Amino acid sequence: MKSDARLLLDPRSAHEANDLYAVRVNSIKKVFDEIEAIRDVSLDIANGEFVSLLGPSGCGKSTLLMMIAGLLAPTSGQVILANTPVLSPRREVGVVFQNPVLLPWRSVIDNVLLPIEFLRLPIKDYRARALDLLKMVKLEEFADALPRQLSGGMRQRASICRALIHDPHILLMDEPFSALDAITRDDMAVELLRIWQATRKTVIFVTHSIREAAFLSDRVLTMGRRPATIIDEVRIDLPRPRHIGMTEEDSFNRYVRHLRKSIEASHEG
Amino acid sequence: MKDRQPSFLDAACWPTAFIVLLLLAWEGAVRYLGIRSIVLPPPSEIAVVMATRYDLLLTHLWPSLYLTIAGFALSVVGGFLVAVLITYSEIMRKGLYPVIVVSQIVPKISIAPLFIVWFGTGTISSLLLAFLIGFFPMTINSAMGFQSIDEEIHKMARTFMASRWQVFWKIRLPTALPHIFAGMKISVTLAIIGVIVSEFVASQEGIGYLIKLAGGLLDTPLMMAAIAVLSLSGLALYWIIELAERRTIYWQATAENLAETGG
Repeated sequence: MKSDARLLLDPRSAHEANDLYAVRVNSIKKVFDEIEAIRDVSLDIANGEFVSLLGPSGCGKSTLLMMIAGLLAPTSGQVILANTPVLSPRREVGVVFQNPVLLPWRSVIDNVLLPIEFLRLPIKDYRARALDLLKMVKLEEFADALPRQLSGGMRQRASICRALIHDPHILLMDEPFSALDAITRDDMAVELLRIWQATRKTVIFVTHSIREAAFLSDRVLTMGRRPATIIDEVRIDLPRPRHIGMTEEDSFNRYVRHLRKSIEASHEG
Repeated sequence: MKDRQPSFLDAACWPTAFIVLLLLAWEGAVRYLGIRSIVLPPPSEIAVVMATRYDLLLTHLWPSLYLTIAGFALSVVGGFLVAVLITYSEIMRKGLYPVIVVSQIVPKISIAPLFIVWFGTGTISSLLLAFLIGFFPMTINSAMGFQSIDEEIHKMARTFMASRWQVFWKIRLPTALPHIFAGMKISVTLAIIGVIVSEFVASQEGIGYLIKLAGGLLDTPLMMAAIAVLSLSGLALYWIIELAERRTIYWQATAENLAETGG
């Protein structure tokens, strides 16, 4: 596992070097109609790191993600990608949403190639890459199928390919598996880790599933509600590559317990 | 796409049987009750008129059909463009759109005599009436279609840096197509009404003129033959649009297809 050394890079060991960070969020605040949705959130995410934002529904974690994606402007504070502030959606970001949001009139491969069309890049140069990505998620046979011929899990895998097609450095995932059934969900988590090992992207993964966050991440940031702030940060020092059997082990469950406690504490307070 | 063709034929089978039955009942009733043909000619007599006087019927059908298609085409293009304007200009959406919706209340055919005053008794009046009457449903349906864009899809497109035009061509337009076709189907039937009414009011040719003329001569079989020809043409136009819709919107699953793939 040659790539693992890079994937597990410890951001604390090189705090000064700015370009080590794929994403920096500087004391961001977001106010909607005089209601404070997010209060003073700061975070640094290293290149190649897998970070989860974990919190209850409606705690503002998706809002935070949309600000990193450049879809929402913070009321104050800054999001910095590659040393430049985010003012609008950026090329180095790929987003996977809660729903696959595939265009029903396009074949799977044309859906995957959609960002290439939007970016006005030559489509034929990216066709092979699209097929490779589909192969990676075992969808190459469905390249010419319409989305309605796919199951929910397959559609979400296609939408991950779409987010990766333009080779972004950063993958933002907004509760991507929450619309799937529990078994498909576990499969998708394993699948995602495989993709991540293969592509070495920086991933910010929003979820309200404690197990999912612990299983996937290098680091989990738990968020509390009203107004949202980061209340805890947990480094998950489980070996990689991870497999689903690890979720039975004590070391894993210690993390789950810890995360649950920190979320419960925020509810009481 | 192929698997829906038989279901279309199946769907056409029952109404056809019903119509045949109705015609037979009509024929039987007219003969049995001895109704005079000036009041209600039997279908067989109408068919005979259609077969023997086809050159007269066709001579008058062409101008009507041509004006219907031209007026319809104008209302499709005009309605589409105004809908784009309404979608992208806030002033138009807030100012023009409600006016268009409310102006639906005005019975457009009541404007026909006014058009005769303005544009004379020629083709321009008929064309404009067909256009005007078909324009509103086309505009409203297209505008509704353009605005029915899924917010999540829009958000997705923005994260991948789609421009406004890319969003329009690649997302809004395909999303709006079912609405646009629905508008076209309404518009085409209304365009026929527009042309016929305009021909009733003042014209020297066209099916509307022929119906009025036959009425004046108390030639009921000819009148009904003209109505039949007109209805069949209307049906053909509607069917062409329906066919185009089925070909264009290939991705919309039928109920059976959805069940097959598990949704």
